[in-house]
Amino acid sequence: MDVEQAAEDLRSRTLSEIPRSLDRLIYLASMRDYNTGLYYHDGLASRFTQDVACEALADCHREAFSELVGCSLRELVGQMEGYINATHTCPRDFVTAWKKLEPYRVAVPVETDPVMAHFLFSSFKIALAVLEARLHSVPAEPAA
Amino acid sequence: MIQLIFFLSIGALLFASLFLLARRSARPEGGSGALVEARQALSTLQAGLLPADMVKRIFTQEDWEYVRSVAPQKVRELFMEERKRVALLWVDQVRAQIRSLRRFHRGSARFYARLNPRLEMELAMSFAALMGACSLLRALVYVGGPYAAPRMVGAMANAAARACKVSEESLSFLNAAQLGMLNSRPAGRAAL
Repeated sequence: MDVEQAAEDLRSRTLSEIPRSLDRLIYLASMRDYNTGLYYHDGLASRFTQDVACEALADCHREAFSELVGCSLRELVGQMEGYINATHTCPRDFVTAWKKLEPYRVAVPVETDPVMAHFLFSSFKIALAVLEARLHSVPAEPAA
Repeated sequence: MIQLIFFLSIGALLFASLFLLARRSARPEGGSGALVEARQALSTLQAGLLPADMVKRIFTQEDWEYVRSVAPQKVRELFMEERKRVALLWVDQVRAQIRSLRRFHRGSARFYARLNPRLEMELAMSFAALMGACSLLRALVYVGGPYAAPRMVGAMANAAARACKVSEESLSFLNAAQLGMLNSRPAGRAAL
């Protein structure tokens, strides 16, 4: 019950401000300690407990992952464009970095079904190729 | 002398048989491990691999239509390659989980007196048919790509879902509390 309340609190206070599921996935993955796999959120832990906050963050992370997996490729490309704009990154730099580093691989929740994780990674790869092709069809802006 | 060799050979054979039997019984077939594995296979199939929206998501042609309309040939080829890989992975995973379930029902079912023999026979037939369908679908996807057999994908997913339901009914006498005891994890770590 506490976990459900904490998850609802997180959704209403924080996640509702993040419109895209891609952004939510990345945000929630960033709340996770890579050494332990546990999630930390000071505000949520102070209102509930550390264990409850951890469970609530994990639930919301799984939710964001499911939402993103449910998106069509067109929607995923749109979400990535939105993310690039929101982070004020140069699209070419973004595509190059994401193709090389594949940061989405560390953004999935633990114990995700391997087929679904692989499907999402594959969709990211294709979406990046679509974005890259789109960038190549647009001439680069001359350097200032 | 010949008699001595004969009796020694028989003795050695008996000893080898005893050793093999002892090794076999060291891994109890009806143990909780096999049961937990079967329940996990059921849960992976029912929650991860077989839900209609997931199957539709993997095999939908909507993504292909989109890529075909906006991307050049190179990206289209990448798309087909990637989707084929995912489709093959899906088939392999379904087959692996069904094999795991079949192993449980074939190897461990005799340890549970409350299993229904008629249901077990029905399951054995379903599993055999599903394994055959998986192999055929794999070959079709491998040769023809992810959209080679859309109807077969749907039919196989439905048949697998039905087999899972029968298997679940067959194992329903094992209540959640018993499984919870087998599966229990320390609190606070459930997020992992």
